[in-house]
Amino acid sequence: MSSETDVAVVGAGMIDFGELFEQSIDDMLAAAFRDCLDDVDKGMSPADVDAAWFGTIDIADNASSGLGLSHPTGLFEMPVTRVENACATGSSAFRSAVESVRAGNTDVALVAGAEKMRDSAAGLIEGAALDQVWRGRGVTMPAFFGLRATRHMEEYGTTREQIAKISVKNHENGAKYPHAHYRFTCDVDDVVDSPQVTYPLNLYDCCPVTDGAAATLVVSEDVVDEFTDDPIWVAGSGLSVDSFERGNDESLVGFPATEQAAGQAYEQAGITADDIDVAEVHDCFTITELVTYEDLGFCEKGDGGAFIDSGEPLLDGETPVNPSGGLLAKGHPIGATGVAQVNEIYEQLRGKAGAVQADNDPEYGLQHNIGIGRNATGSVSCVNILSRQR
Amino acid sequence: MFEPPYTRTRAANERLRAHECDACGWVSFPEQPQFCKRCGVDASWSETRLQPRGTVRSYVVQQRLPEEFETPLPLAVMDMPQEESGEPARVYGLFTETDPADIEIGMEAEGVFRRVFDVAGLPIHSFKFTRPRGDRL
Repeated sequence: MSSETDVAVVGAGMIDFGELFEQSIDDMLAAAFRDCLDDVDKGMSPADVDAAWFGTIDIADNASSGLGLSHPTGLFEMPVTRVENACATGSSAFRSAVESVRAGNTDVALVAGAEKMRDSAAGLIEGAALDQVWRGRGVTMPAFFGLRATRHMEEYGTTREQIAKISVKNHENGAKYPHAHYRFTCDVDDVVDSPQVTYPLNLYDCCPVTDGAAATLVVSEDVVDEFTDDPIWVAGSGLSVDSFERGNDESLVGFPATEQAAGQAYEQAGITADDIDVAEVHDCFTITELVTYEDLGFCEKGDGGAFIDSGEPLLDGETPVNPSGGLLAKGHPIGATGVAQVNEIYEQLRGKAGAVQADNDPEYGLQHNIGIGRNATGSVSCVNILSRQR
Repeated sequence: MFEPPYTRTRAANERLRAHECDACGWVSFPEQPQFCKRCGVDASWSETRLQPRGTVRSYVVQQRLPEEFETPLPLAVMDMPQEESGEPARVYGLFTETDPADIEIGMEAEGVFRRVFDVAGLPIHSFKFTRPRGDRL
């Protein structure tokens, strides 16, 4: 790896997530970009940016191609690439920018993600009306993830209450997080008594439908001093895809793609799961976070319920998970989600996460995104690891 | 929605035709593949047929769906065995005419032929699952 360039994060910006009918995708992107530039310790201007990666699944049909980022930000005459990788879009865009900088092709890269979910997301949310083999029969997002919950409870004795505790934890954090869509708290009874969406998942097991945008600036070791004396380094990255159709029983109780992506990222960083001090993981549904503890190696397979019971992933626990409130409270504007997760890890490692700062003096932080696609049978997972030390 | 995809999958939908990888034995349904999803080989494939029954590996009960779907709608991941020997295919299975409370992991379910949905007025037929006759709780 010695011939490769080290990559640092030097700025993070986002808008308050929510139901933002008054803002266009351009409005959201411009605001997130400005917030990100303003966040750079020694300042940065748009002219400093050499290339940009734009994460969006373009669910509202208005931002396809890199031009969707260039127009609102004024970033022209440079490579701008749109990235789409299902719900792992934001972290895949970040990974793409990192790889370009690591290869020595780019000194200053912008990663921006945005999604107008509230304008016209019904087709994706319901999933059932899409003209594809399985989705056309009513396979929805809550169904895809809920299938893991039913099986996990059967195979490992995981309880409904353990699953609900994920929602309680993340809403507790989200209530303290200034950019979160939902800022209320709830208890286990509230979760299990909320309306059933897809057995065994209820309404408070599901993330909301949220508009939002986020932006991150990554730079090479060669120019990092121009922008900050307190950078956060990208230690590792992984990306993988898998499908339950391949017959692996692990895919009924979790996501092998996450295990594969995490393995790549840990190897590149030269660490193990035990070294992670804080994490932002994909909790589109409560069960997703529970099985992700296992897939990332935070606990043994089947022990996700015991892991949340132990309190380790709580904000004051040994390894806080989703201090920002996660997708459940913060929201899940798809293209922005992974970018906002990276931003939160950046803030945590700099000790500037405010009311949701982990108090374990975090050295390594992990960000994880998972998406589903291909007739709702496959999953794509992306893991990025940041570090305080180069 | 358009008709052509359903023309291509008609033999799968209506006759449970599937394909077995000659290299690793993995069974593809309903798609007719070229490269194997499990072993990755540019494989040769043997045509096979699935039995109109399967085993529930996991399930959910969907309560919130667009109007054209009946609710509650149980949906399972099923293993459907081949008519001859070999591995089963792992597929999604919709249930019908079954009390959601009667579904459990490990149970056998029977495939029944049903009109699944319409595409521009054209009915698409395929299988759904029920608890087998004579096995009522």
